[in-house]
Amino acid sequence: MPASTTKSTAFTLTRAPDRGSHLRLAGHLSLDEGAALWRQFEAALREIGAGDVNVDVAGVESLDGGAAALLAAGVAQHRVRGGDVSFVGAGRETARLLALYDCARGGPCERPWPRQPGLLTDIGSFTYVAVDTTRAILAFIGDLVVGVVQAARSPRTVHFADLGSLIERAGADGIPIVLLINFLIGAILGLQGAIQLHRFGGDPFLANLVGLSVVRELGPLMTAILVTGRSGAAYAAELGTMTVNEEIDALRTLGQDPQRFLVFPRVVALVFVVPILTVLGDLVGSLGGLAIAVTYLEQPSTVYLQALQRAVHLGDVATGLLKSVAFAVAIALIACQRGLATRGGAAGVGRSTTSAVVVVLFMLVALDAVFTWVFSLLGW
Amino acid sequence: MAKVLQVRDLAIGYDGDVLLEEIAFDVQRGEVYAILGGSGCGKSTLLRTLIGLQPPLHGRVHFTGIGPPARAMTPPAFGVLFQSSALFGSSTLLQNVLLPLRKWTDLPVDAAIAVAMGRLRLVGLEPFAHHLPAEVSGGMRKRAAIARALALDAPILFFDEPSAGLDPITSAELDELIVTLSRTLMVTIVLVTHELPSIMRTADQCIMLDRAAGGVIARGAPRDLAERSVDARVQAFFRRQPLARTP
Repeated sequence: MPASTTKSTAFTLTRAPDRGSHLRLAGHLSLDEGAALWRQFEAALREIGAGDVNVDVAGVESLDGGAAALLAAGVAQHRVRGGDVSFVGAGRETARLLALYDCARGGPCERPWPRQPGLLTDIGSFTYVAVDTTRAILAFIGDLVVGVVQAARSPRTVHFADLGSLIERAGADGIPIVLLINFLIGAILGLQGAIQLHRFGGDPFLANLVGLSVVRELGPLMTAILVTGRSGAAYAAELGTMTVNEEIDALRTLGQDPQRFLVFPRVVALVFVVPILTVLGDLVGSLGGLAIAVTYLEQPSTVYLQALQRAVHLGDVATGLLKSVAFAVAIALIACQRGLATRGGAAGVGRSTTSAVVVVLFMLVALDAVFTWVFSLLGW
Repeated sequence: MAKVLQVRDLAIGYDGDVLLEEIAFDVQRGEVYAILGGSGCGKSTLLRTLIGLQPPLHGRVHFTGIGPPARAMTPPAFGVLFQSSALFGSSTLLQNVLLPLRKWTDLPVDAAIAVAMGRLRLVGLEPFAHHLPAEVSGGMRKRAAIARALALDAPILFFDEPSAGLDPITSAELDELIVTLSRTLMVTIVLVTHELPSIMRTADQCIMLDRAAGGVIARGAPRDLAERSVDARVQAFFRRQPLARTP
């Protein structure tokens, strides 16, 4: 009976049926031919079934590590089926390589792939992470309150050397984008309002609509969202990188409290900067409405400005500023906490930055809702 | 033995400023070749130049029979172990080793996994295949990076300070692995280090660089240099003594 031969360009795999479970490998076995070797060796062993197999490798002229690893994995699979494989006739180099990759060394080759978690596991994990994150943020705020008291007793322990550059980066550098976005928000709101108001002859009320919406709600909120994207994400990434690089541990060993050294200055910087950006945002947002009043409704600018003056009071601006201070504290605290809680290298920094932005955005909207509700109760 | 790496009249440095020059040496197949020298002498810069990450100021690096380094469309001719391991933090050890196999071979997924697992087994990390780099120790990260460097059976491996930051036992295990790779797989290893025990355990040949001299100050088998060199700088290095300074 003729032997069955599978021939590749560099090696041959032969099976002699009359000798039952005897295979012969010859030629050059390398990773370049790995796909063919894997396919043929696997198929030959599977065809033999659960019996013991002798593989004659006397004709193997060269063998590299990749091919040896593939043969070892094939052998391991055959052992799972209940058989065994012996390599016979191996030269010195071939024998050494086969021994090096032998699956008998240090346990079986085949290891189960980690199971993908199911939906219930996902929900459980998400809930656990949400609770854990909330607890960590609350603990962080508690630590911060203690830190504030200690800092009030000895203000020199707070590291304010970076405050100037933090204010510049969060404030001055952010002015152009805050102005642009708030102007566009004011204009969009103005245009949508003008279309509806014009149908009912309500043109003179455009300033009321735009002015109050911008000053009380959209100005503080949009500005805070922009600060979250610029400074909040930067704080989380910066502190996260410092954490994984053990710089935070180094600070602790130097007797510095990371909160007073890193968190306080950032909170102070944002509390100083965000209200100023909010006022600027309010101004240009209202100007966005003016642009629509002049171009779309063809109102004289004085009409819009006088209506704005009548509609928007100092109290409205104050409520917006109050919100902006709370937003600033939330952005700085959450971003810093997420950054300091970073674990696991570069990927961890990415995760904590994303987490910081998502949690801050949620908190901004939640805080805004609470403030609006409280202000309406108080009649402000 | 056949030469696999020839370096001739090489000058290295940054922005036209020469750091080291007139560097010349040959590396034979299956040899462990160490580049020695004190901190800041230009060892890592030389390594970056050898692997094509930094252009030489002049001179040439020739890989015999395996083409120039870092060609875009062919698999890399060598594997590299960086000082920091440089594993991808968001991928498991197995995924790190799979990366070059998926990129440069036509192996089906199960075969590629089999090869990658084989590499991890070789370095003793098969049980940790599904761990992230951040979840294993520094020594294990080094070994995983070696498995990744080995993935494509590159004939030359470059190791930058493989023992840096490791405890003596882990360092000795890593040295043993280097010797195994060299003797069993006939892989040529060029390693940059200043760890004396590692040099003595692993290196067949070495060159010693000196920043002040601006180039190579000694070459040969490490033991010969340690025992026979009359150069005060070489003696100071091998005896771990401060170099006597002239007033």
